[in-house]
Amino acid sequence: MALTRLVHQVREVGFGQRTSFADGVLTVSADEARGVLADEALASVQLSWVSPGQSARIVKVLDAVEPRSKGPGGGGIFPGFVGPARPQGGGETHVLRGATVVTAGFLPRAQEALVDLSGPAAALSPLGATHNLVVEFTPAEGAPWERVDAALRRGALRLAAALAEASLDAAPDAVEELPSPSAGARGGDLPRIGVVTNLQTQGSFKDVFVYGRSFGAGLPTLLDPGELDDGAVVSGQFGHPALKNPTFMHQNHPVVDELRRRHGNDVEFAGLVICPEPVEQGAKELISLFAAKVCAAAGFDAAIVTKEGGGNADADVALKMDALVDLGIQPVGLYAEMAGADGTGPSVVVAPERATAMVSTGNYDHVLHLPEMEKAYGGEQFALVKAPAAASFEVPTAVVYCALSPLGWGRIAARSG
Amino acid sequence: MARIVHYINQFFAGVGGEDQAGAGPVLLEGPAGPGRRLAELVAPEHEIVATVWCGDDVAADKVDEIVGLVRSVDPDLVVAGPAFTSGRYGLACARVVAAAHSVGVASVASMHEDNPGLDEAGAAAVVASGEVARRMAPSLERLAAGIQRLLAGETLTAEDGRIGAAARLTVVTDDNAATRAVDLALARLGGDSAATEIPLPRFDRVTPAAPVADASTVMLALVSEGGLVVADNPDGLESARATKWLRYPLEDRDALAAGDYMSVHGGFSTAWANEDPHRILPLDAARELEAEGAIGELLGEYFVTTGNGTSVANARRFGVEWAADLRRSGARAAILTAT
Repeated sequence: MALTRLVHQVREVGFGQRTSFADGVLTVSADEARGVLADEALASVQLSWVSPGQSARIVKVLDAVEPRSKGPGGGGIFPGFVGPARPQGGGETHVLRGATVVTAGFLPRAQEALVDLSGPAAALSPLGATHNLVVEFTPAEGAPWERVDAALRRGALRLAAALAEASLDAAPDAVEELPSPSAGARGGDLPRIGVVTNLQTQGSFKDVFVYGRSFGAGLPTLLDPGELDDGAVVSGQFGHPALKNPTFMHQNHPVVDELRRRHGNDVEFAGLVICPEPVEQGAKELISLFAAKVCAAAGFDAAIVTKEGGGNADADVALKMDALVDLGIQPVGLYAEMAGADGTGPSVVVAPERATAMVSTGNYDHVLHLPEMEKAYGGEQFALVKAPAAASFEVPTAVVYCALSPLGWGRIAARSG
Repeated sequence: MARIVHYINQFFAGVGGEDQAGAGPVLLEGPAGPGRRLAELVAPEHEIVATVWCGDDVAADKVDEIVGLVRSVDPDLVVAGPAFTSGRYGLACARVVAAAHSVGVASVASMHEDNPGLDEAGAAAVVASGEVARRMAPSLERLAAGIQRLLAGETLTAEDGRIGAAARLTVVTDDNAATRAVDLALARLGGDSAATEIPLPRFDRVTPAAPVADASTVMLALVSEGGLVVADNPDGLESARATKWLRYPLEDRDALAAGDYMSVHGGFSTAWANEDPHRILPLDAARELEAEGAIGELLGEYFVTTGNGTSVANARRFGVEWAADLRRSGARAAILTAT
């Protein structure tokens, strides 16, 4: 299946009478947006644009979504939430690149994440360089938190689809024809490299959805990368800010991007396997063996293995790497290190026993000094340090949204010094 | 001329052997014991202005006091050892240089690479000594060379005999991690079987204590990493990456009522823990065992932290503090509930 991305670069944003997109300017009607977000679990929502370079911080960041649409009404985008739960990943998809819809506020089990739009932490988060439509919310009285979470998720996806719908008639800045992997078939002499992506599935507020359904009870399966583009994988996982994979990162999966870019040059893109990431050890073992079996059936020579979450999730990567070695497939694991503030602690919680190739996405405990910002969104306080959200404070890299991206977005690493 | 303070144990200070292992710490003017030779090796550029010694049995627990004495003479550098393979001495040397380093004082210790204290040196440098005191002379020469380099503002490396874990330092990379992962896969497929960005970790192996011979006579403690605190978490225990532990009383209490206690642990859904706090801390079962006489007595308080993303250094410190505290309070067995 081939997918064409019609990319519209968002250069300027604002609010206006009606939602529109023209000449790189995205205008949003706040009334229309509130209508899209309306749900009986939400008493009210507040919308703000927060843009790169501003002296601004977003705290309590939940999910982030890139606006995309395949046609009027979404045309099937975000299947299972906005469009019907039917396979997607082909045809044309409009992308508003440089903009996101971001939900921010308190949810149970959510670990506090922040994004700075200027200063040293801005470059550590993908949202530090995008125009972010921040959705803050007040839950309806008596609404169960699970309902609030579901309303925010559905609302953010519908809003993202509605924004991108405004670009359907605009001429794209770029047209990206995306190659699709050919599972199981060797096209030439190039090494066949694929990606195995674990989706954290640890119950409410730490769950990931595939075609609208929790992937918790699923088994590893091949997914066409175009399905990621069209929002088949949606995040409801709010733990470990630096180590989470929001919907935005699945839509722009960095390893998928890299394999697509190099396909036919020095690698053959062998495919994408998604796996649930459960808590229980027996399930971790079954899923790891199963994932390796799927990779073998798809003819992988090597697999990049990615995770989501903290130390517990290291086990899922380690088990898969060993299972791949046992089937003769070369694994490479992406690991965020937890080496302590001074870098001297044992940095990997669970290491593989037979596999040894690991890429570092940085040290979780590395301390950052964040400057004071003029304005904060998402909450009054940054509870971790008990300080006003806009204040200057020291935090571990672990709290910066996607800073240690397990999907390989970041440009930091830990090295032995 | 740089001012150096030298840390040694009671034996090398010439005070005595095991009979003096509980003494100190004591501050002496100028070099002492092996410090006299070390002073010659670093002269004339640098001077050992003072020596601190402490007995092996107590030194590892008196690090704050030792570092206080060290800092009282405002040194440019702290040197500890050589401790060879002596475990208690090595642990004290490592903790002294780690503590001094963390407050910004340049530090270096000397011990053999098999010394169990090596892992406690944190980010401070350790250079290799010989295995036994017979190797004092070459060990001091290497240590002196390390001191000269550190005081010249340089970093010690394996070429200087540096041993122990090298710190994992954050660097900015040209390519993102996804690109590097594909590059690494190609390098491995191309036959480079050693290529990796993360060296294989070395884990502690803890030997469990021997079973309690007769539980009916001992005081039992309940401790937990399950994040169980009193309602509303007034002491602010972290839900992840804990930097502290807390103690709460259990005296006159037979049960932990829902609503009075809550778990703040960020690594699992706390709904079931909050519904019945005994799922984290089994006070109900412990009181039954106490009433039956199966255990002698239950300690009148419990210790708790959050074991979610907690650094190994902090976890090790909590363990040392818990063990010392439990020992002082007379507890001889503990149940550590983990989540």
